Formats: sequence, C-alpha cells, structure tokens
Amino acid sequence: MPEIKVTPLGAGQDVGRSCILVSIGGKNIMLDCGMHMGYNDDRRFPDFSYITQNGRLTEFLDCVIISHFHLDHCGALPFMSEMVGYDGPIYMTHPTKAICPILLEDFRKITVDKKGETNFFTSQMIKDCMKKVVPLNLHQTVQVDDELEIKAYYAGHVLGAAMVHIKVGLESVVYTGDYNMTPDRHLGAAWIDKCRPDVLISESTYATTIRDSKRCRERDFLKKVHESIERGGKVLIPVFALGRAQELCILLETFWERMNLKAPIYFSTGLTEKANHYYKLFITWTNQKIRKTFVQRNMFEFKHIKPFDRSYADNPGPMVVFATPGMLHAGQSLQIFKKWAGHEKNMVIMPGYCVQGTIGHKILNGQRKLEMEGRATLDVKLQVEYMSFSAHADAKGIMQLIRMAEPRNMLLVHGEAVKMEFLKGKIEQEFSVDCHMPANGETVTVTTNPSVPVDISLNLLKREMALGGTLPDPKKPRTMHGTLIMKENSLKLVSSEQALKELGLNEHQLRFTCRVPLQDPHSDPDTLHGIYLHLKSVLKGYTIQHLPDGTVMVESIVIKVSSSAEDPNTKVLLLSWSYQDEDLGSFLSTLLKKGLPSGLC
Amino acid sequence: AMEETDFQDVLDDWFIESLNAYKDLHVYQLEHPTQVLEWTSGKTVCVGGHGASKNEILELLLPLKLFADENKGLCAERDFKVVHGGFTEGPVRCLRHVPGSRCVVTNDGLSSDLQVWSVGGDDSDVIRLTGRVEGRKRRTTKSVSGGGSRIAARLSSQVLHGAQSGDVQLTQLTSGQILYTLETTSDDPLSSLQFVSDAVFLAGASNGNVYVADTRTSAAPQLHPAPASPGESALWWTDASPRAAVLRLSSSGQAVVSDLRSPGGAVSRARLDVQSGRGDPEVGVSWAPALDGCIAVSGFGGAVQIYDTSLWATEPRDAEPLFEHRGHAVSSRSGVFVAAHVWHPERPRTLLSAASDGSVHVWDWVDQSAAGC
Repeated sequence: MPEIKVTPLGAGQDVGRSCILVSIGGKNIMLDCGMHMGYNDDRRFPDFSYITQNGRLTEFLDCVIISHFHLDHCGALPFMSEMVGYDGPIYMTHPTKAICPILLEDFRKITVDKKGETNFFTSQMIKDCMKKVVPLNLHQTVQVDDELEIKAYYAGHVLGAAMVHIKVGLESVVYTGDYNMTPDRHLGAAWIDKCRPDVLISESTYATTIRDSKRCRERDFLKKVHESIERGGKVLIPVFALGRAQELCILLETFWERMNLKAPIYFSTGLTEKANHYYKLFITWTNQKIRKTFVQRNMFEFKHIKPFDRSYADNPGPMVVFATPGMLHAGQSLQIFKKWAGHEKNMVIMPGYCVQGTIGHKILNGQRKLEMEGRATLDVKLQVEYMSFSAHADAKGIMQLIRMAEPRNMLLVHGEAVKMEFLKGKIEQEFSVDCHMPANGETVTVTTNPSVPVDISLNLLKREMALGGTLPDPKKPRTMHGTLIMKENSLKLVSSEQALKELGLNEHQLRFTCRVPLQDPHSDPDTLHGIYLHLKSVLKGYTIQHLPDGTVMVESIVIKVSSSAEDPNTKVLLLSWSYQDEDLGSFLSTLLKKGLPSGLC
Repeated sequence: AMEETDFQDVLDDWFIESLNAYKDLHVYQLEHPTQVLEWTSGKTVCVGGHGASKNEILELLLPLKLFADENKGLCAERDFKVVHGGFTEGPVRCLRHVPGSRCVVTNDGLSSDLQVWSVGGDDSDVIRLTGRVEGRKRRTTKSVSGGGSRIAARLSSQVLHGAQSGDVQLTQLTSGQILYTLETTSDDPLSSLQFVSDAVFLAGASNGNVYVADTRTSAAPQLHPAPASPGESALWWTDASPRAAVLRLSSSGQAVVSDLRSPGGAVSRARLDVQSGRGDPEVGVSWAPALDGCIAVSGFGGAVQIYDTSLWATEPRDAEPLFEHRGHAVSSRSGVFVAAHVWHPERPRTLLSAASDGSVHVWDWVDQSAAGC
C-alpha cells in the first residue's frame, strides 16, 4: 500500500528543536532545521544520523523547507548544510530569507564570542547556506522536480511565517510550522484552503493551552510602563526588529495620547534603519487591512516617540526607550542597561526569548549580579519584566485549522513525553481521522489510499452500458471485463480486441481434445447414435445434434467415434471443445468415461 | 447597533480603566461556554459544556504568573493549561469536586442521577466516567426543576445531592450506600446544597426556604422560612459563609443576611442593583472565603458585582456594589450574561467568572473605596 512516513528528528524529549523528515512518493523532505536552545552540546542539533550514518545529506534529501526565522526552526540550518553537508535547494519565504541570516549571525556571535565555543558554524557558512535558498511566494506552486511540488500558505505568527503544502502525485502533506488563528495588530490569521492532505503535521506544544487575550498582555505592558513612569523611573525595552517594536510603539503612542502623558519616549537610531528596511518587506507580505495601518502610521513618525541620542540616557526623570539589540548582548541597549540597572525605580521589559549567554537570558533567570568586561560587577536593582507577545495557536486554533484543511490523518509533533490522550481523542472524535503523536526519532507510517485515474475506451463503456441498460451507478458497482494497459504514465481500460490490436497480437483459439476408450459391440455409427441418445436424455436443455457427417455436437463440442480394424469392439471417442466450453467439455469426458448405459439402440 | 469603531473604543476605555481597577486580569475564550466553575485544587479549576449532545469536561491549570508572587515579573506564563479532559454525553449543569480525592461528580439537569468521574493523575490526561449514582425517585409527579440536582461533597467520598428538599440524600460513592436522607414532607425545588461543617448542611430552596440538618441525626431539618417578599413570587438563591451567616438573594434583588443558628431572624437587608433583563436568571451568589462580609453576585446580566454586607442595616436600603466586573459585557456584542463565578479559596480578591459567550475571566480587583473589605 502506498504510504507516507513522518519522523521528527533529534534526541531528547524536550520541545524546541523542530526538524521533521517526511517521505512521500519516493521523495524525502526535511521540514525546518531548528536548534534546541537549552543544550550546549550536540543535543542542541537534530539527529541527522537517522538519514545517513556517514557523509553528506544531499543525495538523501530532495529539498529542505524552513517555515520561519525563529531559531528553534532554522538555528541548525548552517550546521546542517555546511558542516554535515547538503547542497540541494532550501525553500523559505522572502521575509524569512531576509531575516534568517541576521538572526543566525547574531546567534553565532553570541555563541562564539560570548560563550567561546569553537565547534560552531562561521559567518561564511551562513552566507554559503543562504546561497542555496530558493525564495517562495504565497500560494504559488513551485516544482521542486517533475514530481514534487510545494506551495506556501500564510501562517501569521511572525513576519514571513508559512505553512507548506507538499504534493507528490496524488499524495500530499501539509506542515504548519508555527501559526496562529487570531489576527493581531500587524499580522493576519493563518489561512489554508480545503486541500484535504493525507497528513496534516502540526506542533502540539500549544494544543493544550487556552491563550490569554492579546489585550490582557498589552494591558500588563502598559500597566508596567505606567507604574514605572509614575514613580519617575526609566523603562528600557530591548527589541530586535520591526513587528514587535512597531506594535509596542503604536500601543504606547495611543496610550500616551489617551492619558495625556508627558514623559518622553525614544527609539534608538539603529532601530530606524532596520525598521525602514523591513517596512518594505512588510508591505508586500501583509494583507490590505494591515497595509493601511502602516500607511497611516508612516513608520517612526509618531507624535510622542522621538529618535534617541545616547546622551539622553543621563537625563533626569522618567522616559521610555526602545533600543536594539533585543537580548541585551551588545550595542546600545546594553549600554543603556548598564546605566539604568542600578536603580530600583527603573525597569527593563524583555518582549521575547533570549538566547543563553546573553545578559537578557541571565536577568530573566533571576540573576541580580552580572559580571561585565574587566571583572566589573553590575548590580541589577531595576525591575525585570518578561512579557511574551508571540502569537501562537492554542487548542481551539488547532481544531479550526483541521476544520479548514480537512486532512485525512492528523500528526502532532511534540517533544515532551506528555500524555495527550484527551486531545487525540478529541480530534479523532470530532473529525473521524486518525491522530498520531510520534516522539522524537519515532517514525509514523500513514497508509494513503490515493485514487488511481484510469481512462476507459468509449467502445468498452458503450458495450457495458448495453449489457446493463442504465448508466454506471456509483451506488451499484458492477463487475466489468476489460484489459488494463499502462502506457507512459497513463492507464486505460479497453476491450480485449482493442488491446490485442494495440499490442499487434493475433487472437488465438484454444481447443481441447480428449480420447475416451469405450467397449461397445455395435458398429461405429450405431455407437455414435447410442451416444447421441444417451446425451439427449442426460443433458436436457442443451442443443445436441446428430449430424450427417458422422459427428455428434453438443453446443460447440464435437464427438466422433472410431475403432481399429483389429479390435472393432474397442471404440475410441474423440471429444473436442473450445476453451469457452471448457466446463461442459470436462463434464462430457467424465460422463462418457463411465460408458454407455445398456439398453440403448 | 454600535459601529465597529465605537465598540473598539468602549473596549479600550474599559481596558484603560482596568489598569487601576485590577491588579491582575486574564481573559480567555473557551471553545464552548460553561455554566460551572469548580476548584479541584488551589490552582486548578473544572469547567464543562452544556450543549444538547456531546460535551467536554476540562480541568484547567491557572496561569503560573498569577501565583508567582516574588518573581512575578520573570514569569511570562499567562495561559490556561488544559491538564485533563473528558467527554460527557449530556450537558454539565452542576459539577462538584469531592474533597481529598481526584473525583468530581456531575449532574446533567435532565434527571436527578449523578455521574462520577476520575480526573486522572500524572499518568493520564483523560477524565473518565467511573460510576453513577441514582438520585432518589420522584415522590410527586412534578417534573425535574430547571436546574436538576444540586450537589455538595465532603471528605471520605460522600456526596449530598437532590433536586428537591424531599429528595436529598447522602451517598457513599465507593459503595453506593445511602448513608442519610433528609426527612421532610416538603418538596421544594432546590437552588443550592452545601455543607457548613463536617456534618451540618444547608439546603436552599428556590422559594426562599432554607433547611438546615445534621447528617448524624435523623431529626427533621430546621426550617428558615423564606423572607417576606412583596409582589410576585420570586426565585431565591442561598449561600452560607464560613462564619455561619446565611445570605439569600431574590430575583428582584432583595438580599437578606441571617444567622444560621437563628431561623426566622434577619441580621441585615439590602436592595441590590440588579437589572433583571433575563426571564429566568441562573444566579450565583457567594460569600468571599477570605474577605469578611463581602459577597459576589452574578447571573442577572453581564457583570459580577461585589458587595460589602457589613455596610447593610436591618432596614433594607439600596446598596451600591463595592466593585463591578463588567469585562464580559464590555467585550461581547449581544446580551451576554455571567453563568458562573467563584472566589479563589485563599487570595482575597481573586475571582473567576464564566459567561454565556464562552469567555472566562480571572481577575484580582483593587478596592478603591475608602472603607470596606
């Protein structure tokens, strides 16, 4: 039976290293190539030995697809392509292609410079890896080769995130990557058509959560900022690039306006440069409604938010500053942090995940004394706030997506060895599909049942219709006879005669002959007549003829009688029949072997 | 009908106000609305659907951020986690946790029978049906009252249940044995049933009568007759506080506080500001477990109101709520009403509320009044 195999790669049971291998229609595809941020050794990379024990991956993989730029989905990509070895195509959306290398380089710098690691990919490797990237547009079918095609769908979540549809022949798989089903200020909700894939692959991480509303997260942010400002404190918000920073700026601007607040808000210049670059990416990637928002708010032309100058950090009184980079690992945000960390009134708000080795990571783990360059210690007295604004699907979201795509099977990838029997049951019940939950390294085989299209010749169809009377009825299947011809890549059903003609064969006739000895004292013609009468009495309803040429015919079966001159009483009956009358022929030979009943003629 | 922008503005205003009005605020949307909210531990709560056919029972873990007192800033976890889930054939109209166990008991409002569930430990995330308890047979031909059976549970897996005063019995879950039945000739449909001590319980009838009985004796219950109420016959809801104060609230907003030990008397009264927009409200009324004299009222509309009963006098006067949670009404377009609310057992001002649109809010309100709780 045709089947699709799915194996989440990697050792360990933790979440955080997305890398899934799919085998479909003879093709092997790697979905995402993420890094596990919690480990410092090889456990942070997916376990590629599953694909091959030694050597490069190029011949084993038809393509690699990256869903979005988060490190837990692309962090191991340069390692895989340049250190393990892969030269085939790497597919990702345009924004992902633009942002990935920047994040990878930041990550590389932190890991190598801050943590002093040696066995890590280099800047050149990142560049070489990105050369293999083939960018994707939304809803555009891309032929990877003449059998494998892929298509990207909008996933929401972050700029450029995509869900991908993979098709080989009549089998297909959809991989969701990370997605969300509720639109927010700058990203729409994920959307896919009723593509009915054989397998829908999704991360199950958030399947058992019910998300707190976006408004409550924003409320918390505003409340914290407001409280700090009210007590005269300074608020530092380290941010990476567009998206989140822009969103938080809009929020603060609206709030400042509403509450008539006077404290200054600044954004660092590094942010503006990057922001303008990504602004263009946003515009082509987002939908109409969101585009309007950005056109109205013409990038950093806010009433209350002004460009930052490093000297402002020493100004007295409350202020809010957006500065890069996002994890406090270098640059302006770190400089500002050093100045403000010593005062309890101040606050730093971390709006996202921080990689190990960064100051951001340390303070989010509660560290209150930091070792800086030159053995200096920094006392962290300011308030540290960790806020997560990332948009993820939850339990309800997964059900919505399944409803949209209508897969035949569901596959949830989860790193943790958690029990998800309830969710599995819920999906199986509501959608009547099998729900699989493989652990890392475990392969799930899904049997597909693809339809095989066959053309039927018009003659054959007419002949069958003539037999049955009415048109073929899907509710009343009927057996029909024909010959299946496979030519090039098509299949067709034709009549036997047509098949013979196409193959250039002659139709053969098959005849059986059989000799039955018989003891009979009569003359040959009389014996024959006796046979005739015997058969007439036994085989009622059959056409039995005694022909003048000295044969008896039962339907198409011919019977002759002969004897030798030496022994006229030993007769030999010669029976001959064609293949079509096989049954009757065997019956007659068995019958006549028993001899004639006495009392005939 | 409100314009889209007007609607968003109202939401924004309420959220802006909420910055000062609440310490913590979490807003969730369940797939299916619940009429029940029941603590199964200090951090987990059960909810259940009430659609006509298949429904889910879920045990939810409250967001870690709510409980992270010292390092609250470092915890970004704001979401509910579905820790256990199960399926039930009928609606869940009443759900009670059996203390000291991992069992919950439900009633579907269609009969007086109870379903017994095992909520599962670390080994499984499934809530399974493990048994049933038959309710007492009807003595009269009256059909089951709108709410079905009320349930109260106590340690040693004993469950008190009944739809009417004449049906109340105490069943031992493990054996199915009936340990006690309430001996009374009355047949008042009940709106509440609760233990006020290990052995003493209170059965609140919808007509305002309150029966107090002791499961150790077969003596007839003590009757606290319904407060006199002007006008048409009202529906009443009851709750008893840990300090033996009994609160009764009528569908017209009349509130009466009496002492459990003195039937017929009333300590204080008030007229609450409840707009009875709905014909048959599912009212919830509860004493705060950790805030003396405070009560919460919900079900009349889209708000949960907190009142301070220590401000009430013997003569009924109009009472102003100490606090009003309007989150559900503000974030919903049509006539939403709050179907259930619970106080957190220890945190003085933390409540959960669930509304008919499937929303569930967790809120920790700030007391902005000069005096009061």
